[in-house]
Parts: sequence; C-alpha cells; structure tokens
Amino acid sequence: MPVHHALIYLVTGAFTGLVGAMLGIGGGVFLVPILTLSLHVPIRAAVAASLISVIATATATSTVNLERGLVNMRLAMALEMATSVGGLGGGVAASLFTTQQLFVIFGATLAVMGVVMAMRSKRRNVIADVSVAPGVLGGRLQEGETGYVYRVRRLPLALAASLVAGAISGLLGLGGGIVKVPVLNTFCGIPIRVAAATSAFMIGVTAAASVFIYYARGDVVLPVAAAVALGALPGSLAGARLSQRVEARALKILMAVVLLIVGGRMAWEAL
Amino acid sequence: MSSSPAGLARLEDAIEVALKGGLALSTLLLLSGLLLGASGPLRWGILLLMLTPVARVLVVAVGLALERDWVFTLICLFVLGVLASGMWVAVRR
Repeated sequence: MPVHHALIYLVTGAFTGLVGAMLGIGGGVFLVPILTLSLHVPIRAAVAASLISVIATATATSTVNLERGLVNMRLAMALEMATSVGGLGGGVAASLFTTQQLFVIFGATLAVMGVVMAMRSKRRNVIADVSVAPGVLGGRLQEGETGYVYRVRRLPLALAASLVAGAISGLLGLGGGIVKVPVLNTFCGIPIRVAAATSAFMIGVTAAASVFIYYARGDVVLPVAAAVALGALPGSLAGARLSQRVEARALKILMAVVLLIVGGRMAWEAL
Repeated sequence: MSSSPAGLARLEDAIEVALKGGLALSTLLLLSGLLLGASGPLRWGILLLMLTPVARVLVVAVGLALERDWVFTLICLFVLGVLASGMWVAVRR
C-alpha cells in the first residue's frame, strides 16, 4: 500500500472516530460510504474494516467514559443481549430484503429520528431531585456541581431498538449506535451523554458478533483495516474528551444533523 | 442479590485494565506491521482488537459472579454464548 493511501485511511479513521466517539456511534455510517464511494474499497472489505474500526472506537471511548462514570453497565449488558443476537442474525435477514429496500427503510427511519431529535432537543431527561430512586437500570449523573437522577422508561422499546441496531450492524458494518442513541435519549429517558457512553460501550460487542464471520470469509484487507483502526484510536479518544465540554443540547443537535445527512444520503442512494 | 457500588467500581477498574491492555498491545502490533510492511503483526493486531470486546464481556461475567449478581452474570453468559456462536460459524467456514 502506498504511503499516501495509508495516510488517507488514517485521517478518515480519525475523523469518523472523533464524531463517532462524541455521539456514541461507531462512525461506520460515515466510514462505509467514504471507503466505498471515495476510496473505491469493495463493499465487503469496507464493512469489515468498519466493524474493526467500530471496535477500536468503542474500546478507546470506553476507557475515557468509564473513568467519568458515564457508562450505565447494567443497562448496557441488558441491551447487549438484544444487539448481539441482532448482530449475528443480521446476515440471515439480509437475504429477505434487497439492499435497496434496506437502504430506503434505514434512510427513512434515520431521517424521521433526526427530525424528532431536533424537535425535542430542549427537553431534558434528568431529574434534579437526587433523592429519587433511579431503579434497577437507571442511574445518577454528575454535571459539574449538580447531581441528577434518571430512570429508564420503555425498556421493551430499548431492547427492540437494540435488536434492530444489531441486525443493521451485521448487515452494513455499523456499530448500531445511530439507532440506539436517538431511541434511548428520545423515548427511554436516558440523558444524551449517558446514552452515548453506554452505546459506545456496547457497540464493540455488537461488532464482535459478526466481525469473525467477515474475517473468516477473507473480507478483512489487513493494511486498510489496520490504518483505519489506527486512525480511529486517537480520533475517538479526542472525541470522548471533547464531548464532555460540549453542552447536551449541542450534542443532540449534532446527532440530529448526522441522522438527517446519513438518512437522506442512504435514501438517495437507493432511488 | 445485586452488586454493591464498591463492587461495581472495582469491576469498572478491571474492565478498564482489560480494554487498555488490548488496545496498547494491538496498537503496537498494528503500528509495527504498517511501518515494516509485515502482515504477521497486522494479522495478530487485528485479531487481538477483535477479541478485546469478547475479553471485556468475560471480565464482566467473572466480576459479577464474584459479586453474586446472578441475574446479570447469566445475561453476560448469554452474550458470551452469542459471541461464541459467531466465532463457531466463522471457524466452520
């Protein structure tokens, strides 16, 4: 591989890692299109490289978020049951839909989520009264001097979203955070930072459910995957630290913009 | 019975060690593989990175079992089972 190619992959990985870590998504939603459309990497190799980069992002981000106490481990484990099954099942479901149908369904869903997220960006999920019990899956959150409590609502919806997120991850090489984070934040009562940190904690496991199958198929092009993953590491460490300084509302708006762009682009691709 | 806050904090430390260890070693392998143009270190670096989330779930399962948090230990074992079946499908190909 020529040196300038390696550098392009590194920079691409760093960019997707940065945005991915801030929003708790793996960054695969950007990585797969960039690799296939701009850098002409075959789709399967791009998906495989993306899954590996998702693992790198998830791992690096979690080392930062665990220290900050932002990861809700119990919730992550409960939802991992659904995402890992979805991830493994993704390949089976692939034969039921054409890629075009998948793109349309996926794109439209994301665009709708983006609009909902933007409309609700002012709403806060946290309860300022710290004496409220968070419940088995809820938790506490410290923002500067102020402590907050949040409770998990609509767990079945969170589980269903995680299953879908897992399936999409296995099919398209994403982490699945692009589905989970908006649902957890908008409908399930989880603060955006906790939703992002908990999603980032989970997406490595989601990706690991299908990545070995891609590896065995010979889809992992070593230098490409290595360069992208190496870029994703510093990118996501920076993103995890940066997200702490950004206001919750700004994070939600960034997420809404990402959803609209990615959703619109995917739907466009299918038409 | 569910795990204590202190137990959970200990577990988070153990997870961090597992994640950081996996990252440091695979970064080293990937970097040397790319710089030397050698596929051996690249392959091992990628495999190690792929195994890091599996190791993380394993650490959580052991930690929660030590805490006697059986419900969440079972949940972890279930996830491990799913990951193992993914690997099994991969190996059989």
